[in-house]
Amino acid sequence: MRAAPVGESPSDRVRLGLIGVGTRGNLHIAHLLRTPGVEIAALCDDYEPHLQAGLARVKGAKGFADYRQMLDMPGLDGVLIAAPLYLHARMCLDAFSADKHVFCEKSLAYTIEECQAVADAHRGSKKVFQIGHQRMFSPVFLRAFELVRNGEIGQITQIRAFWHRNGNWRNPVPDPSLEHRLNWRLYRAYSCGLMTELASHHMQVANWFLGTHPASCVGYGSINYWKDGRELYDNVNVVYRYANGTHVIYDSLISNVFYGLEIQIMGPKGTIEAETGRVYAEHPKPAPGIVQLINGLENGFFETVPIGGPSWVPDLKKDTKGSLLVNEKITDDGTAISLAAYANAIRSGQPIPGMMEQACRAGVCVLMGQAAMEQQKEIAWPEGFRE
Amino acid sequence: MEESISDRPSSRTQVFHRSCFAMNTRFSMVLVDIDSETAEAMATGVERDLRALERLMSRFDLESPVSDLNRRASENAVHPPDGLWEILSLCRDYWQRTRGAFDITLWPLNQLWREHFDRGEEPTEEAIERARQRVGLERLHLDETDRTVRFESEGMSIDLGGFGKGFALERVAASLRTQGVERAFLSFGESSITVLGSHPHGPAWPVGISDMFDPQENVRIFQMRNESLSTSGTTPYNGMGGERVFGQIVNPRNGRPIEGYRTMSVASPSGMEAEVLSTALLVTPERDRAAILSGFSNVSAVEIVYHSSAGEYVPRSEWQYGF
Repeated sequence: MRAAPVGESPSDRVRLGLIGVGTRGNLHIAHLLRTPGVEIAALCDDYEPHLQAGLARVKGAKGFADYRQMLDMPGLDGVLIAAPLYLHARMCLDAFSADKHVFCEKSLAYTIEECQAVADAHRGSKKVFQIGHQRMFSPVFLRAFELVRNGEIGQITQIRAFWHRNGNWRNPVPDPSLEHRLNWRLYRAYSCGLMTELASHHMQVANWFLGTHPASCVGYGSINYWKDGRELYDNVNVVYRYANGTHVIYDSLISNVFYGLEIQIMGPKGTIEAETGRVYAEHPKPAPGIVQLINGLENGFFETVPIGGPSWVPDLKKDTKGSLLVNEKITDDGTAISLAAYANAIRSGQPIPGMMEQACRAGVCVLMGQAAMEQQKEIAWPEGFRE
Repeated sequence: MEESISDRPSSRTQVFHRSCFAMNTRFSMVLVDIDSETAEAMATGVERDLRALERLMSRFDLESPVSDLNRRASENAVHPPDGLWEILSLCRDYWQRTRGAFDITLWPLNQLWREHFDRGEEPTEEAIERARQRVGLERLHLDETDRTVRFESEGMSIDLGGFGKGFALERVAASLRTQGVERAFLSFGESSITVLGSHPHGPAWPVGISDMFDPQENVRIFQMRNESLSTSGTTPYNGMGGERVFGQIVNPRNGRPIEGYRTMSVASPSGMEAEVLSTALLVTPERDRAAILSGFSNVSAVEIVYHSSAGEYVPRSEWQYGF
């Protein structure tokens, strides 16, 4: 992370505008109010109660109902888009046209064509683009990535990820006419539900760790419990196939929370459970004396190795239950750091590399999964897609 | 210079290794000249056997028969499973044969010292005396007819920590021999080692007792063939993590930890006997050791004492037997 000193002068301050002041937008406000050198200069929401509640929290911010008017506001450096999925691409493209830096919430866009359009519009631009996949900024996931790169678990041979909740996934609606606006995650015209709103996180991690995107996927989805008029699946099961023969098995449901959420990264030498932040070795490493003995045997040496000694104390008992990836207590899942990084990238004029690639891979991936379930057939990675 | 063909090993030795956690420490097995598939299957079998023994003997597993005894045997006579009954009978025999130096009932006394060590204090004479009322195998009654166990005093507790590893090694070695294994190196936390046959490139498995303050140095070497080696001792720290932990051994005869840093290593054809004797000899005064050992066959032993000199600890073999 780039740590840039932040002065108090107005020219040092990054002035941001938020598009969408719902649940996620409000979380961003909370983080940004604590981020040094950031000014929330404007808020935009076409749902008046959300806008007014936001303006009450952020003193001095200008309010807008139409994001295009906000983009015309002088002195605005960048935007944060936390609007429903179907609006992401349009808002990104308009923000780029208005010469703004962009932080877009996941998932990148509503269709694969839109993902391509956003990537194309940003290619060659010096503007910062960041995607709301905060696990890339989490110390725990970064440590996990380092361990994998160092060969700690061997080659990744399978990734299993799941996100389970028990609840209807609804927001309260003051008037039935607002159902689609406030519960857009349940309707196909605005979202792809569990895939774009939850699965995109773990698919981003899977693509990041495997260093590529899947070649194809198959899957099934249905509404088997929350039969309340929603259009999007309440349970999904998708298997992604990568070119080297690795598979990512993803499932999500909202009628059982026993297993919660996890991503299990598996290899012949160990398993990482990144959400709980632990790594488990398949077999413990032998003592140094045993390693020396094995080397001697393999290489035909006959030597005395210092092995024997009192081991009065249980040694390494913790290893039987895996070890923590990061020892300190981490309260931020990466969101706070990712927002600070966005502000620093704008201030320093140095975008964090690879953000659009990660956004596209995860964004396209979950749309492939949705298509596989809806069309009940194998869906291939879009040929010729330029990240 | 050209190397002649005969100087090289004729073929690379096929080595199989597997480590796992069992009985509160790390177990490692090294097999040679066995194809990997067979070795893998053997290792799986060994792990399964170790877990079964651990379930029988662990005082930390609340559902183990030992935990059951520790909970109930001061109130009622308890009928343990056959496997545990046999182990308790063996332990009583060894207690007699070591004149009380090997004792599986010392937990309350060890616990007293451990708790005080953690607080940097020493227990009072009264506390030591109270704990001594709750230890001693003479207070453990084994009824041969009913095969039941009863504790004479409230608060008694069995701890097979100084027996289980040797017992398990003996079982594992026997099982591997039955499966046709001729050479193997088995280690429990490196304090209990059993070998089958000899090193493929020499007449025995040479095992060094390492200097606990300079672990790459061998203080003594045991040439092991079809035998077991067990080392007990007082350590300043956990050799793995480096942190200071309670590494003392309490002498059942006076209720106090033995003094200084010292280790006792015992080699014996029996894994169990090596394990039993390494602690028993350590707490037995030098003059009484030979008398105990006269009741055991083919045993060799060495005691190493670390003397403080110019800020360093220098190991010296102080006593030995059977070399």
